[in-house]
Amino acid sequence: MNKVRQREPNVIPGFGITLGFTTFFLCAIVLIPLAALVLKAGGMDFSRFIDVITSPRAVASYRLSFGAAMLSAAVNMVFGFALAWTLVRYDFPGRNFVDAIIDMPFALPTAVSGIALTAVFAGNGWIGQYLEPMGIKVAYTWIGITVALTLIGMPFVVRTVQPAIAEVQRDLEDAAETLGAGRFYVFRRIIIPTVLPALLTGFTLAFARAVGEYGSVVFIAGNMPMKTEITPLLIFIKLEEFDYVGAAALGCVMLAISFVMLLAINLLQLWGRKRMMVSR
Amino acid sequence: MSIVLDQVTKRYQDQPVVNDVSIEVGEGEFFVLLGPSGSGKSTLLRAIAGLTGIDHGRISLHGRDVTHVRARDRGVGLVFQNYALFRHMTVADNIEFALRVRRMKRVERVARRKELLKLVALEGLDERLPGQLSGGQQQRVAVARALAHKPQVLLLDEPFGALDAKIREELRRTIRAVQRELGITTVLVTHDQEEAFALADTIGVMNHGRLLEVGHPHDLYAQPATRFVATFLGAANLLLARQGADGIRFGATPVTAEASEPMYAGREHEVVAVLRPEEVEVAEAREQLSSNYIARGAVEEIAFTGALERLRVRLLDEPCAAQLLGSGSPAEARVEITRTQPERRELPLRAGAQVALGARRLHVLPTPISSFLACAPTEAEAEELAREPLLESLSTRMKTRVGVRAIDGLKESPAPFAGVAAIAGGDNAVATVEWLLRHGAAEVLVLPRNAPSPTRVYIHWGDEAVRRATLAVSASLLRHVSAEAVYLGIVPEGTPATGRAAPMRKLLDARVEAQQRHGLEMRTELAIGEAVSEITRNLSAGSAQMLVLGITDITQAVAAYRNLLAAQPGWPVLIVFRQPDVGLRASEYAA
Repeated sequence: MNKVRQREPNVIPGFGITLGFTTFFLCAIVLIPLAALVLKAGGMDFSRFIDVITSPRAVASYRLSFGAAMLSAAVNMVFGFALAWTLVRYDFPGRNFVDAIIDMPFALPTAVSGIALTAVFAGNGWIGQYLEPMGIKVAYTWIGITVALTLIGMPFVVRTVQPAIAEVQRDLEDAAETLGAGRFYVFRRIIIPTVLPALLTGFTLAFARAVGEYGSVVFIAGNMPMKTEITPLLIFIKLEEFDYVGAAALGCVMLAISFVMLLAINLLQLWGRKRMMVSR
Repeated sequence: MSIVLDQVTKRYQDQPVVNDVSIEVGEGEFFVLLGPSGSGKSTLLRAIAGLTGIDHGRISLHGRDVTHVRARDRGVGLVFQNYALFRHMTVADNIEFALRVRRMKRVERVARRKELLKLVALEGLDERLPGQLSGGQQQRVAVARALAHKPQVLLLDEPFGALDAKIREELRRTIRAVQRELGITTVLVTHDQEEAFALADTIGVMNHGRLLEVGHPHDLYAQPATRFVATFLGAANLLLARQGADGIRFGATPVTAEASEPMYAGREHEVVAVLRPEEVEVAEAREQLSSNYIARGAVEEIAFTGALERLRVRLLDEPCAAQLLGSGSPAEARVEITRTQPERRELPLRAGAQVALGARRLHVLPTPISSFLACAPTEAEAEELAREPLLESLSTRMKTRVGVRAIDGLKESPAPFAGVAAIAGGDNAVATVEWLLRHGAAEVLVLPRNAPSPTRVYIHWGDEAVRRATLAVSASLLRHVSAEAVYLGIVPEGTPATGRAAPMRKLLDARVEAQQRHGLEMRTELAIGEAVSEITRNLSAGSAQMLVLGITDITQAVAAYRNLLAAQPGWPVLIVFRQPDVGLRASEYAA
């Protein structure tokens, strides 16, 4: 809806006031700080800007940030789907309890979950002590970062996929079955395509959230430059060194990628809606 | 036979939703399963498709036993009420789904798809998504999709439910035409009797998980065997009449009607007559009627519905008038009448007018349970007994009434008994049963306090002379409760193995008779031991059990079953009493 249209009386009156209010809030909270960020970064000359954002340390941090975020979102897509499926399709004792736990990473301060994960996965932690002898180091490696990001992103996938699974009617599966399709075929050709738009949305949300995640990662990452240093941390380091312009430049890169992500989400949703819910 | 269901039972949490259903559907036949919601018809259809497992029985399609075959290997096409189209696929992909699964070549697939789209008159819509089609078109796609893999059986689950009237009729014609053209055996599930009439070669009516009657639409309408079918297939007035030696009477007014069963033991008894609204003749006075007079009435309501005029007439209290069975109290029961326009012009009526009613055609139901009579020492106790949940639910479901009598009153006026006498269980039950049976009651229902609706009914008789009556009563009862029927045959202990052949044969005979005469599917169990203790043991084995007991000798039965009848809290027991020697009983009664 990019055109202003107001023909029929709306449920909520005062279109002018609402639009003005929305625009004001959007400006004050979102646009102005972002514009300031871009302006700040624009204050440096272009070659220096390129230097900052393509320095080996920065590139390594992008690779880690986006790689770990991508991996954790992918893991979430699989296990989040399984979790959502179980919650929607089966009734078992404690289902509501599990359903409530899903939201915990939303509410928990991320630093807390970071510390908790570190305690568990460190070499002498509950799980870490068993993994270490097998040669798997979780804490202070990229694996630990991925685990933390997976925890943070999980509710996004589960919560977007849950309603989509609930919408897959049993009748569809029954119909496919009477037509001769086996279980795997039904899963691949009926269930996945129906849930796919929601699944992709969940994936993108989890990915975007993981890219921006800071609190939980800094505790489990170990923060070794070039190895376990994520971009948000690098920005923070630049700020501590009073290199505001450099921080702003890196911020701009993150901003651009986040924006592309969100745009992709919206396009995906639009595409899914067009495919699934054309006027009846 | 194309589809054979043999004693199919499906239970949910111990409650049978499909209860011992046996059906045979012939090659190319259009079979409609008709019933109210919750009657188990959709579950049965899903069982045929293989989507629901069954707890008991066998299903075979075209001679192949498919009871344990998965849905995808059964070769059936299923159409759902909500279309169940794959919304992310085009019409073409939907229709070709079954063909892709079977890895058919593209050229053949496309040819088959074109053929199917032509069949359902949707040519050229191949590339549309289901969301771009109207409801009627979507259901056509669903039909085409279900037929793609050339199934041997087409199953339709309320396919018109979500469509509006006009499209419904159009699609109905399409489906009938497609079915004729392909000659495919089809089962359709619906709650709409008009739909059933329009489509069916054969209709099977279900209620409470049981298949009540199967037959041609016309036969079922003209000669229903049960109250439920009479009232569910079209409208019907149910009238309580008496069958005596001189035929059927309403009070003192004889009417011409074919009795469906001979009189038993020469005794007059109650029957239920079905009078269709269009078979009621209305005249100003009794003398002007050209058909059987049944009663006088006052017009209460007139509704104009286009081709027909609907009247509701209250019967006026006359001692000889017919008694109307309604769902509510007898005082609220009304005769429903429809008149054609020529009839209306001949005798225009206004609300309040008094008229004489005649019956052009009456059909007498063969049901042996016509009404209930709650008997207790005092009128107040009898009233209370009539409110027992089991008795109340039985009478509501049977659309019949419960009369109330104090036993002392019965003793003073030994009028011939009508209907099933119901008495309270407990210490006095045995004596009351004996008294009632000796004074003309043919069926006595002993009701423990707050007995639940039974989930299993045991049927037993000692003497073969009472078999037929017991089966008839059991069938009548079981049509109205969702319970399993189990015939309990008992062989005395110590009988040599060779002596067991005869009871075994009796058992099978009983099952065949129940099935053929009453459409009642029942299990059979053979127990070895002493009759009363075996029955008691079986009744005690589960909750909500009931017994139908056929007896021929009052003295002997009362002595044998004394403990069972007096047990606390006890079980509902329906005693069916028939004197084996008909001639003797009749003369005794005449005297």
